[in-house]
Amino acid sequence: MTAGVDKYRHAFLIGLQSGLVYRWNFAVRAFFSLFQLVVVFVLWGAAFAGAARIGGFDFDQTFTYFITTLVLQFFVGAFNEDYQISEEIRNGLINSFLLKPINYFLYRLSIFSAARVVSGALVLVPLAVIVPLLVLHGRLDLPHEGWRLALGAPALALSALIQFSIAYCFGLMTFWFLEIQGFVILSLAIESVLGGQIFPLDLMPARLFHAAQFLPFYYQIYFPAAIFTGRIGRAAAVQGLGLELGWALALVGLAQFLWGRGLRRHTAVGG
Amino acid sequence: MSLTSYLRIWLASARYSVIRTLMFRGDFFIWSMVELFWMSVNLLLISVIYQHTDSIAGWSKYEMLLLVGTAMLVQRLLMGFFWSSLFEMGRNVRTGAFDFFLAQPGHPLFMASTRKLDPDGLVNSFLALGVVAYAAHRLGLHPGALDLALYAILILAGLVVHYSILVLTMSLSFWLKSAQNIEGSYFTIAEFSRLPREAFRGVTSVLFVWLLPAVVVGNAPARTLLHGFQPAWALWLLAAAAVWFSLAVLVFNRGLRNYSSASS
Repeated sequence: MTAGVDKYRHAFLIGLQSGLVYRWNFAVRAFFSLFQLVVVFVLWGAAFAGAARIGGFDFDQTFTYFITTLVLQFFVGAFNEDYQISEEIRNGLINSFLLKPINYFLYRLSIFSAARVVSGALVLVPLAVIVPLLVLHGRLDLPHEGWRLALGAPALALSALIQFSIAYCFGLMTFWFLEIQGFVILSLAIESVLGGQIFPLDLMPARLFHAAQFLPFYYQIYFPAAIFTGRIGRAAAVQGLGLELGWALALVGLAQFLWGRGLRRHTAVGG
Repeated sequence: MSLTSYLRIWLASARYSVIRTLMFRGDFFIWSMVELFWMSVNLLLISVIYQHTDSIAGWSKYEMLLLVGTAMLVQRLLMGFFWSSLFEMGRNVRTGAFDFFLAQPGHPLFMASTRKLDPDGLVNSFLALGVVAYAAHRLGLHPGALDLALYAILILAGLVVHYSILVLTMSLSFWLKSAQNIEGSYFTIAEFSRLPREAFRGVTSVLFVWLLPAVVVGNAPARTLLHGFQPAWALWLLAAAAVWFSLAVLVFNRGLRNYSSASS
């Protein structure tokens, strides 16, 4: 049993090292995330100048929401996994996995987890500076209910799995389409909107908001962020958790299905 | 090299790009859709905010739409004319394939910037223009020929500013050899072009309105359409274009000197 887990632990360690090697990438991304935060601060600050509450929340709560989604993305977001998988398929590197007793999905998941541990740990550095500043200026507004942490943590973990699975599936598209860039970026636009990164989803008209809850994108980052920042109540959180679990399982299943189908098309040349 | 020679080189690149696009029509379609989606996302954000409030820093919904449309127009033009080429430059510098551009006639910055034209970006710029026209219509604006000419000049000046920011960002490749995704930083800075100047106060005003030229890019032409000729704004944008372009060329040339090819 330990031998079985060992190979994924190894992959995890490799992922950690790889994540640390690319810390410059992270620094650049984090630096410009800061700029994005300024855009959010300015735009929404100006919007709130004309209305004390938008969607039932004030500026501090809304700004806290955006900071939360930004930070959580560093913990659970799939950044380049789809391209990495696409590269490995195109270069025939997956052939080595076909001959060995290692599950490619779990292997990639291990690397993804490691990379997220690194990016999550690294984002704590600027946070250690920014959070005290925000608290001092009274800009941070987080609810205190204990159940939010209890429900938010598994929601976050499932978000990571969902994000990874979506990226994985896109990577597998390489079996059918040589270039996945167009699909990925198109999907990015949808995921950004319906994932709550552009604006809090609860600001949408009620019917659209309700419909969005049945899509996987809702659970990519909005759902855990909404739990942590108090934008949805306990009942909605519990119900959402059930739907989220369903989507996680469905996407993992889709990933396995695509892998099987894709392999039939795959011609192992070289490698 | 004379100006006509540069024009001929540009026309050759343009012709090549158009033919290439016609060969890969699927790509053209997908990328047009991608750009369309992102534009829609921006418009959606504005729409959602205005469902809950009447003004953003004193700008009404259609004034804001005009501003956002203007910023999108500048960005589409940049994407259409320069994005692909400069994005590839980053990659070429990292792999050493940039040598190819050094061997060509003409200044490397020109050659690297104009290699590829993206018709999908240019097609979407008409859409952005449509957004501006729609907003102007809803506001009941009737700009004269002079105002429209001024608007066009300021759009071009804004294009120069965005181009300079992109060149500066991509020039980082000369020093940061392992930095992927640095081009994303251009998009982040470009987002500031969509914000009204009045939304910035205090520290953010100093940093992002005066230091970084992004805010003036959208605001200057938009205000010209909304309120007629604004000499202060126009001068500010033209000056910013001159300054930042010079900076971009300077940094690029510095980077060139730092560049060491990977191949023999």
